[in-house]
Amino acid sequence: MKEIYNMLKLENVRILPGVKDWKEAIHVAVQPLVDGGYCEPRYIDEIIKNTEKLGPYYVLCENLALVHGSTDQGVLKRQIAITLLREPVKFKEDGCDVRIMVTLAATDPESHMEVLQAMSELFSDPESMNRVLEASSEKEIYDLFVEAA
Amino acid sequence: MIKSVMCCCGSGLGSSMLVRMNVEKTLQKIGVSGVSVTHSSLSDAAEGAADLFVVGKDLENFVKHLPRVVVLNNIMDKAELETKLKAEFEK
Repeated sequence: MKEIYNMLKLENVRILPGVKDWKEAIHVAVQPLVDGGYCEPRYIDEIIKNTEKLGPYYVLCENLALVHGSTDQGVLKRQIAITLLREPVKFKEDGCDVRIMVTLAATDPESHMEVLQAMSELFSDPESMNRVLEASSEKEIYDLFVEAA
Repeated sequence: MIKSVMCCCGSGLGSSMLVRMNVEKTLQKIGVSGVSVTHSSLSDAAEGAADLFVVGKDLENFVKHLPRVVVLNNIMDKAELETKLKAEFEK
């Protein structure tokens, strides 16, 4: 079975209208993984602290952030969540507009490689990126990820 | 002579792993072999840990003490990575 089925559950894909700021963005992006028991609630605060210290190093390009902290910051089980925002958010004043947040809970430095590889393939193609941005349902986004893996 | 490349991000798991996968592909494409590519957290980025370091622009200020660094404006942009890696490997 493909690793994506272990790493991504349909209930952890969400579409939201928007958020008031980047901190709320982190909250909504990580919350599904807290609810599902994949990480402790403190993972949210740790990522916010990391960001205040180092900047939003997980914003990969226009529209896309790979929200994550370290393995020792409250991660319990390996998993990803995907949040699509209808309205973009900025993680810093002069930064990119972000609408897709892929949240990663990693338990070690290597075992999520297959999923990141799929994500990288999916988003390096502008057309697939647009399909995710314009998705009308969570299932559509889920299917695009599974197809890419 | 560059024999090792370390890609770094804040936690050494996500962004740095993506960059590492792209560095491996790019080196293969430009015909460079025998280079070890790793990904790690910023706290491991010390002089001597690798011959060349690759980071995203957000972390530029944290790697100023390192001798050879490639800074990427767009972590997902393979063309930018290729241009900058080529320049380093031709030095």
